[in-house]
Amino acid sequence: MDMFDVLVAQSRQHEHARAAHHPNRFMAHEVRIAARTGSEPTYNTTRARARPLPARWNDVLDGAGAVLPAVLAFAPLALMVGAAISASDNRLAALLSTWTIHGGAAQLVTLDVLAEGSGWIAAAMAGLLIQIRLSAYSTSMVRDWRTAPLGLRVLAGLLLSDAPWALAQSRSTGRRSFYLGAGLALFLAWPAMVTLGTAAGDVVGGIAAAALVPALVLGCTVVTQLRERPLLVAAGAAGLSAGVLALAPAGMVLVGAAVVGMVAGVVADRVRVRTDEGAVS
Amino acid sequence: MTVALALAVVGVGSLLLRVLPLLGAARIPDRLALHATRAGVSVLAATTVRTVLLHGDATVAGSPITAPVLATLAVGLGLWLAYRGRSVLLSSAAGLSSYVVLAAGFAAVT
Repeated sequence: MDMFDVLVAQSRQHEHARAAHHPNRFMAHEVRIAARTGSEPTYNTTRARARPLPARWNDVLDGAGAVLPAVLAFAPLALMVGAAISASDNRLAALLSTWTIHGGAAQLVTLDVLAEGSGWIAAAMAGLLIQIRLSAYSTSMVRDWRTAPLGLRVLAGLLLSDAPWALAQSRSTGRRSFYLGAGLALFLAWPAMVTLGTAAGDVVGGIAAAALVPALVLGCTVVTQLRERPLLVAAGAAGLSAGVLALAPAGMVLVGAAVVGMVAGVVADRVRVRTDEGAVS
Repeated sequence: MTVALALAVVGVGSLLLRVLPLLGAARIPDRLALHATRAGVSVLAATTVRTVLLHGDATVAGSPITAPVLATLAVGLGLWLAYRGRSVLLSSAAGLSSYVVLAAGFAAVT
């Protein structure tokens, strides 16, 4: 058994433990029963038969419901993006890009750099640097989506943003359908809120607490994953690097944090495997 | 024209960053996906830390670090509640309302 097999087995154990100890988590009941009786969880069969809707559709609805706090949290940001669009030189292009960029921070930074007169190349680089994190999200999803039809994989990519990804990571079963439900809900709600912002103007710019809400909700969404030691180490190291680089441009901070977090996670893996080997011998 | 060009580049680039790894899913090893998961969680952790550290609030008087300190306490409370198993909505609401109360209290005292 090489290091990666050990990690996969441990990750599976952590996933069950996480589900069993989280009262809000789907299937926690079945996992607790399985832990008590020493059998494998039976959620794939019994729950599906008992439901009036196919499990897949229930997962889609669960995902759409789970993303609602994030929709509310992103409303102030959407209004700010809308205000930036209405102040832009090309309002139509700015509004249409809401669907393709599908990320408030990147769109806002691109429009801000353009408004400062720094040129389109600088604006595009600033926006893309923030969006690079999406390739990490997308890459992390391949284990779940490898067997999906091409059309569904393209749809999953189109719907990808922070909140659906973070929510789906915390899910132990039905992850694909859950992700699609969350992603579709946000994909419809986000442009609607931005369009509202173009009419309403900058009504939230003066409310300081509103700026905290998106980070707070995203943090609360992923924090339960930090029970897994390598993820805790990765997030801790990334948080430290963000603290050190706080005054640098957002894109640089995020790329730096991703690299630091990955390296810290690898180091934590190696330390754990060595500790386990030491305990066995 | 430059606005449309910049937004088109960011839009197309974003689409490619989101879709390409999933299109090549069969060729991406599980090990890389595991590292990418950690990179993703790291980015979200960095986003939260950066937002808190750069937080500014004109209504809170005192030194420039007052608002980040209050934000740290409030966000810390929300994260702790979520870690303890409370729902995202409840944890976020608790964090946000604690910030509003702390900021109002601080403004009243100073």
